[in-house]
Amino acid sequence: MKIQSSKYLRLGLFVISGLIIFTLAIFFIGNRQHLFGESLKVTSVFKNVNGLQVGNNVRFAGLDVGTVKEIVMVNDTSIAVNMFLDIETANQMKKNAMATINSDGLVGSMVVNIIPGEGPRSSALQQGDTLESISQVATADMLSTLNRTNENAAMLTSDLLKITNSINSGEGVAGALLKDNEMAEDLKHSISNLRQSTRSAITSVNRFNNLLSQVNFDESLAGLMLNDSLSAQKFAATLSNLDSSAVEINKITNDISAFSSEIKTGKGVINFMLTDTSFVNHLDSSLQNIEEATHKFDQNMEALKHNFFFRGYFRRLERQKAREAEANEP
Amino acid sequence: MDGNYSFRKNLSAFFIEIGELTGFAGRFFQELFSRPFEFREFLRQSYNMGNKSMLLVGVTGFILGLVFTLQSRPTLMEFGAVSWMPSMISISIVREIGPVVIALILAGRIGSGIGAELGSMKVTEQIDAMEVSGTNPFKFLVVTRILATTLMIPILVILGDFIALLGSALVENLKGNVSFTLYFNQVFNTLEFSDLFPATIKTFFFGFAIGLVGCFKGYNSKKGTAGVGKASNSAVVFTSMLLFIIDFIAVFITDIFYP
Repeated sequence: MKIQSSKYLRLGLFVISGLIIFTLAIFFIGNRQHLFGESLKVTSVFKNVNGLQVGNNVRFAGLDVGTVKEIVMVNDTSIAVNMFLDIETANQMKKNAMATINSDGLVGSMVVNIIPGEGPRSSALQQGDTLESISQVATADMLSTLNRTNENAAMLTSDLLKITNSINSGEGVAGALLKDNEMAEDLKHSISNLRQSTRSAITSVNRFNNLLSQVNFDESLAGLMLNDSLSAQKFAATLSNLDSSAVEINKITNDISAFSSEIKTGKGVINFMLTDTSFVNHLDSSLQNIEEATHKFDQNMEALKHNFFFRGYFRRLERQKAREAEANEP
Repeated sequence: MDGNYSFRKNLSAFFIEIGELTGFAGRFFQELFSRPFEFREFLRQSYNMGNKSMLLVGVTGFILGLVFTLQSRPTLMEFGAVSWMPSMISISIVREIGPVVIALILAGRIGSGIGAELGSMKVTEQIDAMEVSGTNPFKFLVVTRILATTLMIPILVILGDFIALLGSALVENLKGNVSFTLYFNQVFNTLEFSDLFPATIKTFFFGFAIGLVGCFKGYNSKKGTAGVGKASNSAVVFTSMLLFIIDFIAVFITDIFYP
């Protein structure tokens, strides 16, 4: 009987030890999931929960303060995440805190991070409060962007390949630059010429510098123009006058132009003289007649000098001229 | 022609055995809830199966945790993920390796023991004598043993898991300067109810299978003393196969409820 009791005792110890270990395991796991003890239930609504699951950790400033209790789809754009927070830690949180869903490490599971709110101090978090959520860039979004970048890179590479092929086959300016020997020679000459031009330009600039250094800016006209404000004013006035003169000249030119066009198109004497050829012929014959008449008149006058009645008069004029000539001689 | 006949005969025998086993299980549930309850025999069997297996399970579990950690450590170090050791070891041991390995060891120890004990009782006609004396041998021998294995195996697995984690923690403490507190903190931070409960529930089925097959093989052993050895041997082989089938079904069902 004593042996039997000892066996039962050991069996009891064995069973109890097994149950204690099992109970402790339940307690530790349950305690982490805040199944035992007082907790605070808060909610946050997200557009995308990025694979968050019930039982994932909730962190506040890096501390594990609770777990995700429930994930409910409110509508097609809102998913409510109900969290149980440890009451002692939750009492330190404010209503303006914000929740965000992140990955726990590079390949870890998702966690809800609660970030303390900024701005004026808010009241403490209460049972059933809803925390504002912040949407983070999800891995899927990043991959989508990366995919677009890859597509663009592929397009760029394809274009680059086309360009390279064109260049290799000597198409276009770039291709010609690389493949056309004649162009290369021309380019070489051009560069050589450019080099020479540059040298000449440098020489010219040096000369000009020398010239400038020889200019006496204090006493020369250039110095006067550069330094004397009075001269500058005069020069400006001259330029102004020149400008107004140019305007006047322009006006005169316009008048002349109008006048000449009027002559061309009008019916005045000048236009008649310029355009009527019969008049010109008449005028020409009249001038010939006048010339002939003048010649005849010269002959008449010469005959008149030898006339008896007027000979004395002409002789008297000649004597008077001779006397004036003697008087003028020194 | 003979080979084909032999195959058909074996296949037929297999299905017959499955049918008999199912009937045996049905009779167990029938006898389980009918009076009188052989409580003392149940406690005696629990002691023999539970307490007397503790050393085996403890040593096996400790070495399992130790070796598993030592073997995994270089690979995790290569990836710079030694800090994940407690998480990885705890999930592996609690979910799968602990229950299966310990159940297989107990199938060897308890299953073969039951098969040999009941087989020898059968061939020496002790079971028939019990019937003659007015004792229900099935209730006294079979129900108590199956019930004992069903309830003791889970406790042994829990203890074995714990000792395996202790062995793993010892290696981490010696090689990685990880304190026992930090190790078990990380273990319980990683473990979920979804790891613990399905693994524990399946150990009840493991225990039931070990007891059922051991009792069935022993209770139905034939052909004298040679049949005792055969019953013992086939009890271990059949139980081992059954354990893997149960494990597969358990994992499959767990995956449905805890994807």
